Amino acid sequence: MFKDKLKLPTPDKPGRIFPDRLGSLVMISGLDEKGNEIERSEFEFESGEELEPIKPGALGFHRESDDGDEAIDDEKDDKDQRIRKKTNKDAVAASVSVLKSILLDEKRSDLEYEISRREINLEKLRRIASTGIPNGGGLRATAWKLLLGYLPSSHDLWETQLEENRQKYADMKEELLLNPSEHIWKEAKDLSSTQQHEDNDADGPLRRHEISVEDHPLSLDKESLWRQYFQHTEIVDQIDRDLQRTHPDMPFFSAETSFSRKNREAMKNILLLFAKSNPAICYVQGMNEVLAPIYYVFRTDTDKQNAENAEADSFSCFVRILGDSVDHFCQQLDNSSSGILATLSRLSDLLKVNDEQLWHHLEFTTKIKPQFYAFRWITLLLTQEFKFEFILRIWDTLLSNTFGVQDMLLRICCAMLLCVKSRLLSGDFVANIKLLQHYPDDINLEYLLQVAQDISPDTSYILSL
Amino acid sequence: MVLVLALGDLHVPHRAPDLPAKFKSMLVPGKIQHIICTGNLCIKEVHDYLKTLCPDLHIARGEYDEETKYPETKTLTIGQFKLGLCHGHQVIPWGDLDSLAMLQRQLDVDILVTGHTHQFTAYKHEGGVVINPGSATGAYSSITYDVNPSFVLMDIDGLRVVVYVYELIDGEVKVDKIDFKKTSSNQSTQ
Repeated sequence: MFKDKLKLPTPDKPGRIFPDRLGSLVMISGLDEKGNEIERSEFEFESGEELEPIKPGALGFHRESDDGDEAIDDEKDDKDQRIRKKTNKDAVAASVSVLKSILLDEKRSDLEYEISRREINLEKLRRIASTGIPNGGGLRATAWKLLLGYLPSSHDLWETQLEENRQKYADMKEELLLNPSEHIWKEAKDLSSTQQHEDNDADGPLRRHEISVEDHPLSLDKESLWRQYFQHTEIVDQIDRDLQRTHPDMPFFSAETSFSRKNREAMKNILLLFAKSNPAICYVQGMNEVLAPIYYVFRTDTDKQNAENAEADSFSCFVRILGDSVDHFCQQLDNSSSGILATLSRLSDLLKVNDEQLWHHLEFTTKIKPQFYAFRWITLLLTQEFKFEFILRIWDTLLSNTFGVQDMLLRICCAMLLCVKSRLLSGDFVANIKLLQHYPDDINLEYLLQVAQDISPDTSYILSL
Repeated sequence: MVLVLALGDLHVPHRAPDLPAKFKSMLVPGKIQHIICTGNLCIKEVHDYLKTLCPDLHIARGEYDEETKYPETKTLTIGQFKLGLCHGHQVIPWGDLDSLAMLQRQLDVDILVTGHTHQFTAYKHEGGVVINPGSATGAYSSITYDVNPSFVLMDIDGLRVVVYVYELIDGEVKVDKIDFKKTSSNQSTQ
């Protein structure tokens, strides 16, 4: 209905600095290199002229050439067109959002259909999920659980699997998180039904039980429960402090309400349990950030039972997500082939393959090593770079990649660099570092993810395996 | 799970130079939430040392303490328990259970901690407990020279308390445990 009002730009419009591979993509999406959101949907719905009222500055060059073309055309006609467009802009905007919501509903019902089938087709789910899962309802929670392999793909097994896993979590909690006096009382209760009467004796000296070989609070024995408990209080303090600082702008995490406190308590249990069951890595600052989206999505599930068991489910999924990247957190493995430095150099190679000019500019001209900016991107799975809604959307794509989270992560990092390419090319060391460490939040997320999908993989890495 | 250290009658420097080394190696900061001290430290340096173990320190005045500002008796509430503290030289006969029980009723506490006799005792009396942690340095008392260094650590958790008694016998630390459960009513029961 609106296509007749618009003009598709001619293919060889100047002003695009992208390499050819991405050139056609850019044409279709009709955005400037910043990928600014300009009322578009996912189709080849072109809005070339439409751009003018919104972003005159960035497309100044563009407009001039347009004008050049149109000078030959009927000027009056053009003016009418422009006026018509201005008044119709609102109408178009409205129809765009209607179209958007229609698409969203379609996607939602697609997803719901997929998830409700008896044998879920994971490939198909991945494909839909990588275009973004609609907010609201339990869709995202269930989709993530399926994508991470927490829920099996056959629907009938869900009940039993969930039961089993949740029970396992409760047992683990009881075993590892009990403080020593509770432990002792539990043991005493188990043995003591016969001994109870003795304690109810009348006044007089109290019975002493010799326990020199058993555990006592000041014990320095390695096996002592008390000693381990006190050693862990430091970790607990650290976790507490980090949780206070997680997403301070979101009342879900940082308010003083009892709901939010329970959330923090649950997250603390998860992190503590992870630290205790993985003493090699223990707790590292930042794990709370990786846990936050998972816990949020599961806790806000509209299915009541799922929301109540969010803690147990989040623990399992947290462990799965960290599974690949756990080596990044271990300092000793920094220089090994699975450590963070290796991953950073893979990122660098990926950039080189996709955009040698930018790579050269970063590595040699401004001497910015990936360590300076991408360390946080990679270890924290981009949770500190974007606002929360964006993180959820990015994680949809991350989790639904067939080649794994790490592969998509590197692609997204590369895409992030490509999307701010012009700013990087024109910046020096200081400006670029500043830009990359505070990644601009005015980018178009869908565009970024599309670029990431289209990045050609670094085949040299695969060949060297 | 609150850990409360009860000790006293150190008599440093007059009758003993310091706590036994084995006790000192066990008493590290960060584990204990409260310290109640029956008195007769006697000098400020011991007070400072105890303060490094735990900032929440309560002391009752013993007859040899050089700091005159400590109170004669003190009461505090930890968890569900009311604890009372007194040195014990004021209670005559020294160490007599009935007289101490009078003091316990007077202070209206569940656990009364007193010292002065330099002997560890723990009695259950009329729904309350009277504990004497002994002397932490093993200093001699007016009654006897034969004193084993001892102190007490209480683990208060809700309505129950586990009392760990640490005694240095023949150079070895012996630990004993005593369980005590408070009946939920205030009156004496059983």
